[in-house]
Amino acid sequence: MASTGAGYDLSPTTFSPDGRIFQVEYATKAVENSGTVVGIRCADGVVLGVEKVMLSKMLLPSSNRRVAAVAPHAGVAQAGSTADGRQVVARARDECDSYDDTYGIEIPPSVLAQRLAEYVHYFTIHGALRPFGASTMIAAYDARKKTHELYVLEPTGVCLRYFGAALGKGRQSAKSEIEKLDLTKLTCREALKEIAKMIHTTHDDAKDKPFILEFAWLCEETEWKYGLVPQDLIDEADAWAKKELESDDEDDDGDEEMAS
Amino acid sequence: MDPTPPDAYAGAQLRDGEVSTGTTIMAVSYAGGVVMGADSRVSTGTYIANRVSDKVSALHDKIFMCRSGSAADTQAVSDYVRHYLASHAIEVGAPPLVKTAASLAKRICYTNKEQLLAGVIVAGYDEVDGGSVYVIPLGGTCLKAPFAIGGSGSTYIYGHVDHEFKPGMSLAECKAFVAEAIKRAMARDGSSGGIVRLVCINAEGVEREYLTV
Amino acid sequence: MAQLRVAPGGEHVLPKEPPQTGGFDFGLAARNARLAAAAGATASMPEPMSTGTTICGVVYAGGVVLGADTRATGGSEVADKNCEKIHYLAPNIYCCGAGTAADTEKTTELIASQLELLRLGTGTQSRVVAATTLLKRTLFRYQGHVSAALVLGGVDCTGPSLYQIYPHGSTARLPYVTMGSGSLAAMSVFETRYADNLDEAAAIALVKDAIRAGIFNDLGSGSNVDVTIIRTGGEATVLRGYETPNDTRPLREAYVRPKALVPVKATAVLSTQVEVTDADAMEL
Repeated sequence: MASTGAGYDLSPTTFSPDGRIFQVEYATKAVENSGTVVGIRCADGVVLGVEKVMLSKMLLPSSNRRVAAVAPHAGVAQAGSTADGRQVVARARDECDSYDDTYGIEIPPSVLAQRLAEYVHYFTIHGALRPFGASTMIAAYDARKKTHELYVLEPTGVCLRYFGAALGKGRQSAKSEIEKLDLTKLTCREALKEIAKMIHTTHDDAKDKPFILEFAWLCEETEWKYGLVPQDLIDEADAWAKKELESDDEDDDGDEEMAS
Repeated sequence: MDPTPPDAYAGAQLRDGEVSTGTTIMAVSYAGGVVMGADSRVSTGTYIANRVSDKVSALHDKIFMCRSGSAADTQAVSDYVRHYLASHAIEVGAPPLVKTAASLAKRICYTNKEQLLAGVIVAGYDEVDGGSVYVIPLGGTCLKAPFAIGGSGSTYIYGHVDHEFKPGMSLAECKAFVAEAIKRAMARDGSSGGIVRLVCINAEGVEREYLTV
Repeated sequence: MAQLRVAPGGEHVLPKEPPQTGGFDFGLAARNARLAAAAGATASMPEPMSTGTTICGVVYAGGVVLGADTRATGGSEVADKNCEKIHYLAPNIYCCGAGTAADTEKTTELIASQLELLRLGTGTQSRVVAATTLLKRTLFRYQGHVSAALVLGGVDCTGPSLYQIYPHGSTARLPYVTMGSGSLAAMSVFETRYADNLDEAAAIALVKDAIRAGIFNDLGSGSNVDVTIIRTGGEATVLRGYETPNDTRPLREAYVRPKALVPVKATAVLSTQVEVTDADAMEL
């Protein structure tokens, strides 16, 4: 309690004198240090890509998924604590189920996002609770409006709708790459490659742990059902991304010093 | 009616002195909308408590409910559905589906089945499914049907409607079909009578009319 | 809650109770029914005072007229010859009650209070539908155990309106309404004479005659006619004892007793003497 600001970070129920809630900011930090997650709303669907860090060579690649379906028409990809993320996934599945039970229709994306935001926010206003150390990207299809939507839900409980979004370590460079894309024309298949490239670009093979790419999408091709991208497409995107980076490196060879 | 046996109040049956919509109700869907109809008699025992009642209650702009059974119970159910449907419409920012209204009504009827005497028909028009009819009888099950009849008077006209119904009727044919069936039920069923109320719902809007017999 | 009971065979059995699912508990109603059945014909349950009643109302061109008789009964006995059955709900809304006197009284009091709080909160005049909704929800919650059959009339920003409310919580909006044991007699008057857009005098006359039909043809109804008029604009006039067709005073006053039914044979003052033995005589 001696230093400035000390004592204000013990509970999410306490504001610091300058109006911050440290516990929630710390939770956000947990997400910022996670593997990169990129989501793009394309012309024909939504693609979510994850840089899944493999902590051990003995891990089964399909274990510890960071993407999950919560309903036929909705799914998520998460950055941050996987354990915390599972709570949000479980809640999302409950919300989808009960909405269908009550109203006889699939939950609209905006409503799912809103309900999950309320759930996550609840954990930032009670002293006995800890905020979630995970951010959730939500991809969902609205059958009534015939729109596909992408949302990002943060540990603060804020949930916003995006054309493209990135979370985790490589989010800054990924975001600036997304901004360069024409999202009104980009297809999901193209987006797979772009995301693979973004993740490879931000990943430092020398410093960072090895990773595998995990992709899920929801598009015309899948008849607007959320699901994992077939492995051959991922491999194709992965190979394309690696080749692109190599050719970029060759181009850059001349002015490498400037680039570094 | 027999006096109420001591522990019968837990079951779904009309309590002594309770107001009942001994009734004939009906709804038919056609390409582009639905026609709903009902008689107007409400009785307490042998006394007609209301000879001009409206058993076709609005749940939303283009979704209605035909009520049969206990007047108090069905009014309470329709009030709840109207409330939940209004909130839902605001949440999704679009007119609700008939399917959704039926689902809400079913949930209320099913979860409270021990305490309710309510047999209802939910019907209406929405832009996704067009005209649709859902029937929710006593146990709280929910069925989608091309047409439905209900209430005490309906038992007299099953043969008639099965014979007369043909898929792909026009609005005018549906109106005539409903009016004729309800008139026949009113003629045979002592608990049905008064006037025939018709409600026609389609993309253009809602039209109500009544026929005196 | 369920108590052990000795069955005819001598073995202890639990009486059958409805499953407890939260909310209201009607266990006592089941108990009363069991006690009544067990007592059989040898004993009867206590009867509450009921307003075997004629009440009615009609919408006319300038508002609503409500009417009621004033008899309260307890079984076959007239418990009150001049009770008030037209209850205040709001300055612009009144409500006639039939059924158990205590229930109609307390239910209308409760709703009147809720409406007043609502007025203070919103700063607007009470609406007749609001009163109807509060009443129907209360009655529905008690599943008909609150024995109140009501005729509710009033005027608000939407104009005059009249509702009937049954004890189980069903409602109907109608141009003319009768309730209570005398409702059949009263309804016959309305069915022959009602017309749309009556003037005030005709509406009052119609209500009065409908109540008179109940008073004279229904055993449960009697005594006087009370009338309340609520006019467009929200002004109400309460005419307590609007007509008293059963006032016995003029009859008694007009009755001349024949003299000398018992013939006086003789008159005599036996004694006016007071003898003071152990006190002072009172001074005059």
